[in-house]
Order: sequence, then C-alpha cells, then structure tokens
Amino acid sequence: MTENKIEEVETRREIHDLSSLESFLLHNDNFKNVSYISDVPEVCKEYPCILGIDEAGRGPVLGPMVYGTAFIPINEQTLLTTLQCADSKALNEEKRDDIFENICKHSKKMGWAVEVIAPNSICNSMLSRSKYSLNQVSMDSAIGLIKMALANSVKVEHVYVDTVGKPEKYQEYLKSLFPQLHITVAKKADSTYPVVSAASICAKVTRDHALKVWQFHEGIKVKEFGSGYPGDPVTKKFLTDHCDPVFGFPQLVRFSWSTASNALEGNAYHVEWEKVEDEKSGSTQKIPITSFFDKINKTSLEPEKKRHHFFTDRCLSRNVKF
Amino acid sequence: MAIRIQSGKNNILTNSSNSTVQSVPFKIDADCDAPVRKYFQPFVQKTENNVLTASFRGYPLKGTKIQLPEGYQGMVLHESLKPDFEKLQDRHFFVVNKFEELTFWNWDKIPSKNDVFLKALDWIDIAEALHRPGTEQ
Repeated sequence: MTENKIEEVETRREIHDLSSLESFLLHNDNFKNVSYISDVPEVCKEYPCILGIDEAGRGPVLGPMVYGTAFIPINEQTLLTTLQCADSKALNEEKRDDIFENICKHSKKMGWAVEVIAPNSICNSMLSRSKYSLNQVSMDSAIGLIKMALANSVKVEHVYVDTVGKPEKYQEYLKSLFPQLHITVAKKADSTYPVVSAASICAKVTRDHALKVWQFHEGIKVKEFGSGYPGDPVTKKFLTDHCDPVFGFPQLVRFSWSTASNALEGNAYHVEWEKVEDEKSGSTQKIPITSFFDKINKTSLEPEKKRHHFFTDRCLSRNVKF
Repeated sequence: MAIRIQSGKNNILTNSSNSTVQSVPFKIDADCDAPVRKYFQPFVQKTENNVLTASFRGYPLKGTKIQLPEGYQGMVLHESLKPDFEKLQDRHFFVVNKFEELTFWNWDKIPSKNDVFLKALDWIDIAEALHRPGTEQ
C-alpha cells in the first residue's frame, strides 16, 4: 500500500457541482491517483452515520477506476430515497449527473468522497514484481476511504460495501481492520442499500467526467475512445489507431488488460522483460552418461581460463568488437 | 577489420547540448526512432527519496541519474551501413552527439549497488589503479 499512497491535494479545490468536479479533475495529473472528500457536515460529526462504498470502472480497458463513498446520519437516511439514489447502472448518465448535483446541494446533511485510481497506477500495480492484484487495489482503496472519513471526524457507525470477490472473506478482513465499526459486505449492495447507491453515483459520475476532460499528455489528438469495454467498436478502433510501435498506447489505456496486450501483439514491437526468479526452474544440467565414452577432443582438455568473479559478477567481458 | 569512429563536421564534442540517455530494463525487437519526449518524459516523477519513477507499457520503472566517471565522455554513435560480418570490412561510426549522464532504470526495483550495471563502473577506478604507470620502485 505504501506505493499507492493517496496523494493529498495541495490547494483545496472545492467540488460543489459538475463543472467544479471537472476543473478539479483537470487540475490534477491524470496519471496519478487523487482523492477528494467533501466538507463534512456537522450532523455527520455529531450523529451516528451510515457509510456506503462502491466502485466504478473496474472492467473497462480505459480510464481510471474510481472508488466512491457517501455518508449520512442514520436518522437522515430517507433523504437518499428522496434524491432517488438507486443502482447507478440502472440510471442513465443525465440522471446520475442530476443526482450527483443534488448530493452536492445537500452538503448540510450528507457528505461524499472519491479516490480516482489512474489507469497507469492500476497497470503499475498489476505489473509490479510482487503482483498486486486488482482485488487488493480495490480493497485498499475502500479501506483508504473509510480511514479518510474517520480522519475527517465522520461518526461512522455502519459501513456497507459492494463486494469484490467473496463477501464473507472481505467482510472479515474489514472487521479485523475496523473492529469498532459494523460492517456489511454484500453482492449488488448498490441496488440494495441507498447509501451504497449514492456512493456508486459519486464514483460513476467522477469516472465519466474524468474521461470527458481527459488530457493526453502524449500530445496526441483523439476524437473518441468509446466506453472502454472490449466489445465496443469505437474502443477497438481507438486501440488500433493510437498504438505507437515502441511505447504502445497512451496512458489512458490499461496495459494489463488482455484486450490491450492482445492489441499490442499485432501492432507494436515485441518487448522482453527480465523473468521473475522462479525457484522451480533451477535446472540442473544433465550430462548423458554416454558422453564419457566420446572421443576426447584435444582442445577441450586445456582448461578454459575462468575470469575472476569480480568480472563475472559485473557481467564484464573483454570485447574488441561492437 | 578496423573500426573507425569519426567525429562529425560540426565538432559535436564541443557542443553544449547533450543527449538524454535512458538505460531501460527490457529488450525491444526494434531499431528505430522512438517518441520518448511524448510517451516517456512527461511521466517521469521524482519521489521524496529522490528515486525517479516512470512507466513503460504499464510496467513500473524506478530509476536514478548516473554521472559518467570523471575523465570519461559518453558518445552517441551512428552507423549508416549495416555491417556485413562475413565480409570483415571496416566499420564506420559517426559521432552524432555526446552525453555526460544517463538515467538507469530498473523494473520496479530501486537501483542500487546490487545492479551489475552500476557495479561495473567500479572497474573504471580499479583499472586506473592497476594500469597507472608505477611511480615508486
């Protein structure tokens, strides 16, 4: 987790509607993770709260994965239904944008936070030496959001999380980290608990707008890149049109997705990385027994002069040719 | 078979601009220009402990700047004719630029004295000590 620390924003840029969300996203380098927490209303510090957590953009080959949370005092939770917080996938983009702005407007009653995990940061984790899986990235982000809410004095009572992997195992893991909190981890929590729906909407809206204002630091001109789902023909076209033979794709793309690596195989030069040391493959060279009966070659009798390990350690050899 | 290295007409060694050289931890089956300034440089960052970070095709890289040892000069050479190793002809290289430092990159590992590349530079001091003409007898 040390590598992907949530970065603090130096100058606080308030988000209170869609346009300030966009300027916040534009202001931060899109190849680094960034997180944001709204102002915490007094009622959330005073009265026990429920806190929901959900993610957006786990599957697509493009763009950030966003983790979102929303929190509200237990005795105010009917507000969520009034705001029509329901499964974010069942709502269209316009509706989600509206609900997000309404959540912002009710800043005296509820609060929210997001962590934007850059596509580059996802690849870096998945392609690190000690494989840091997407599930672990997800859990760590959720944990980070709970910690951020607690650090900002939200009186968290009950946490509801949409699961990654097996809910029982995940719930146990969270309980061990936050023994003082009630924790519910469930499948499809975003359609069951309005507070998770609210979190899901914050995450989804943030991801959509992050893509909308995406700046290509590579300086390439891109008309459209589609949804990022492998079946989307626009995404497919984007991946073939914007593939540099050496560097591959711009950093919007998650190289660690098979869609991306398959597209690279045909359109870019082959790259070979150092193999991660595998203990099993310590092959002991077998010399066939018949080799002892071979005619002895005279030159092989002269022992080859071995170089001192100072040189072999450093891969130094004599070379007179280029 | 001789190797000839020719310095260009506009005497590059007195030039003030240096090449930016990156030593990367992978092999690529390519010999061509690469848009390093667009796809690589903008993403190079420095952490609090002065380690450089960057990415190549999603792989995390960690790097450090290395100054070439004193008295040494890095040179970027160009060979316009593809060498034919069977014919044992002379080979011609042209100096196209120079460099005084390079960035050494590892895949997700902070460069250290355990890296053979960095260790190899020890030889320069040792060679100097071994091959210096003796002064005492």
